[in-house]
Amino acid sequence: MEPPKIWREKRNRYIGIGIECSDCSSKNFPYTKRCPKCGSKNVQEYKLSEQGKIIQFSQVNQTAQEMMLNVPYTLAIIELNDGITVTGQVVDIDYPQVRVNMKVRMTLRILAKDGNEGLIKYGFKFVPLD
Amino acid sequence: MSNEEVYIVGHGMTNFGEFYEKNASSLATQSLNEAITSAQISKQNIQHSYFGSLVTNSNAQSSVGAESLRECQIPTPFTRVEAGTASGAAAFQQAVLAVRSGLYDCVAVIGVENLSDFVNNSTIETILGSTIDYTWEFEMGGTLTSLYAILTKAHMQKYGTTMEQLASVPVKNHKNGALNSKAQFQKEISLERFLKAKRIADPIGRFDPATHCDGSSSVILASSDFISSNNFDNIVKVAGIGQGVDSLALHHREQLYTLKSTRNASQIAYKMAGITAKEISIAEVHDSFPIGEILAIEDLGLFPKGEGGAITEEGKTAINADVSVNTSGGLKARGDPFGATGIAQIIEIVEQLQGQAGKRQVENIEYGLTQNVSGTGVSTYVSILTREEVKQ
Amino acid sequence: MNKVGIVSYGTYIPRYRIKTEETAKVWEEDSKEQISQLQVDAKSVPGPDEDVITMAVESARNALKRWKGDSQDIGAIYVGSESHPYAVKPTSTLVAAALDAEESLTAADLEFACKAGTAGMQMCFGLAKSDMIKYGLAIGADSSQARPRDPLEYTAGAGSAAFLIGKEGIVAELEGTYSITTDMPDFWRREGAAYPSHGNRFTGAPAYFKHIISASKGLMEQLGSKPSDYRYVTFHQPNTKFPLAAARMLGFSKEQIEISLVCREIGNSYSAASMIGLAQILNYSQPGDRIFITSYGSGAGSDAFSFVVTDLIEDMKNYSFDVDYYINRKKFIDYGTYTRYKGVLR
Repeated sequence: MEPPKIWREKRNRYIGIGIECSDCSSKNFPYTKRCPKCGSKNVQEYKLSEQGKIIQFSQVNQTAQEMMLNVPYTLAIIELNDGITVTGQVVDIDYPQVRVNMKVRMTLRILAKDGNEGLIKYGFKFVPLD
Repeated sequence: MSNEEVYIVGHGMTNFGEFYEKNASSLATQSLNEAITSAQISKQNIQHSYFGSLVTNSNAQSSVGAESLRECQIPTPFTRVEAGTASGAAAFQQAVLAVRSGLYDCVAVIGVENLSDFVNNSTIETILGSTIDYTWEFEMGGTLTSLYAILTKAHMQKYGTTMEQLASVPVKNHKNGALNSKAQFQKEISLERFLKAKRIADPIGRFDPATHCDGSSSVILASSDFISSNNFDNIVKVAGIGQGVDSLALHHREQLYTLKSTRNASQIAYKMAGITAKEISIAEVHDSFPIGEILAIEDLGLFPKGEGGAITEEGKTAINADVSVNTSGGLKARGDPFGATGIAQIIEIVEQLQGQAGKRQVENIEYGLTQNVSGTGVSTYVSILTREEVKQ
Repeated sequence: MNKVGIVSYGTYIPRYRIKTEETAKVWEEDSKEQISQLQVDAKSVPGPDEDVITMAVESARNALKRWKGDSQDIGAIYVGSESHPYAVKPTSTLVAAALDAEESLTAADLEFACKAGTAGMQMCFGLAKSDMIKYGLAIGADSSQARPRDPLEYTAGAGSAAFLIGKEGIVAELEGTYSITTDMPDFWRREGAAYPSHGNRFTGAPAYFKHIISASKGLMEQLGSKPSDYRYVTFHQPNTKFPLAAARMLGFSKEQIEISLVCREIGNSYSAASMIGLAQILNYSQPGDRIFITSYGSGAGSDAFSFVVTDLIEDMKNYSFDVDYYINRKKFIDYGTYTRYKGVLR
């Protein structure tokens, strides 16, 4: 969990900043300097849709030490309302209640803690949209 | 000069298991020496060594080649190939390219991994995290296991694949592994045991995944020139190879119920071998999780899409059935030392083609195939082998 | 025309709750006695992946979503807490990044026990009124440390409230603010100590009550107002009894303060407490209402504010994620889960 990487990713992780191409109109995540679809440099920042639905999900019981604070958690592939797909945790809901196609919305949470002295990594997760 | 045929003239393999007293280079040395002995060549014949390995060891040594070759006393140039959990097959294919190009007549390929040093499961998860999208899957909470769980559920949702069908994969593979003296697990396990185990990443149960262990496996490759100037019999020819790719992250895939990288890799390999899937009667596939084998037999074109579960449950992939799949016991029973797995798959097909597979022997085989997958299918390597009557 | 006021606001309360009776069971204390003493039925507990930063961001995002302005126009962000995730590295900067308010702004983290958030509000009022900034964001958020087997363990809860302050689009205009500050060792925590210490009964009359009463009287004197002029009032709510008593002492009625008392359900959210009370009052007020709030922070001090609600308050009301939504969204946990979520198991 090195400082420059956390800093470099902050807009992607905290706000959900992706990329929109002025030439081919495609939207992608995360932000890159060139469009992954057509290769154009005419790109700008694009803020992801905050709401979406669960495409498929499972549960995680074992992961890297710095992420064990979250375990057990629901892990899902989410399709956002703007068509972009991401992988993320679904929180504030018990696992038996989670369903495919369930509507969710983004929220900021702790992803990892580097022991007791290292940095804390924050990023978006999803909560049920009720 | 170029587009030489490539032959496998020797092979060697350690047992796979937990060997705390051995480090990676001693495992590699052991399997390489066995391969050289089985090829009945001298060490001096080897012109290049390809090492397939993901992390190799716990000591952060990046050059397992240097360490091993000093131990083996083979001062050849060496290359380490890393391709996630398919490092073995990737190294194999690089070696095939080298001989096909005419640059080398004889090379060694060594797959090796020492994982028992990593006593914390968290460390293994992080290592496997490097084979998926580390920043946007792993750091977001995804693990290789949970992503395979999502692949499993997608297949269940689309095709109605059942828990029993999924469990029939490791049941079959343990049955086969019981006949393999090099396998980590040589015991049959009942369907009940798999179904009743605690779920580690719903619907994947505790006993479903292949175990991470230690081991090394090696093959010696030779050109037709080398073959004709030496006395070899009962050799195996590399008929075709192919690598297919897809997006690193699962969330960028077009479909979750198929691995495009497997489909593409197999198509390239079949074309090169001049055959279709119909000619394949035996296959070693990547069953790191039960769904891995079900997807493999479908995406390789061996069976219709969606029917992989039923096919396995009905015994159509048992030894000497329609297509014998994972006669070695697969990753599941044999164990999975990442880089060593791809070469171990090759070795099983070699022994089968040579009629040396003992109780696991499949009758009347002409073409055999191996499939090794990296991560959740960012790349797949398919290699096709066949018997060759050598014209002296 | 130098009016300044609240332009928008947002709150956040975590989903998990532990009942007073559950905690009492662990320490073999009489839960009925505890409940009657404090009038608090349960307290809120942040989940294992929540902290003051995530709660501050969530409440601030709620404030900004209601507002529909441009986060780039925010000129100052202050986050008050006694449980910032880092001893050194500001909460407010991450809040700025998460709200897309970087980079032309000033920011700082504040600590003044439970009134750090309202101190931030005063700073924003000053900067906005003097035209040094266009909008300021003051947040109070806490995930308070609760000493096991201490009376305060029953009430040390968690939550966050954010107030956007400026001159345009005012929903509650500031009539005046007045503060009392004295040095007072009623409640403290040394650097590196896991839990705060407090003076038990000493935290009552000479601390909470003295400062709230003085500040409130002082402001009403300044403005020439009296309790009956106000539709609603709220005071810092470490439990239900204290603010009800303060209201009585000052001459406010139970009806004026009641709707703001969320502590019965969520306990004391420390730096967020009086601000969540204010948010709830705003949710129920009408244009033209005068409302009164006095916070209290140990150490000690009180900030009193008087507001007049404007017509624009109606724009705030059709936003679903506010106090009532969060109060009703709850999952009760047992004491073991509570210690796990609080991260006390080392």
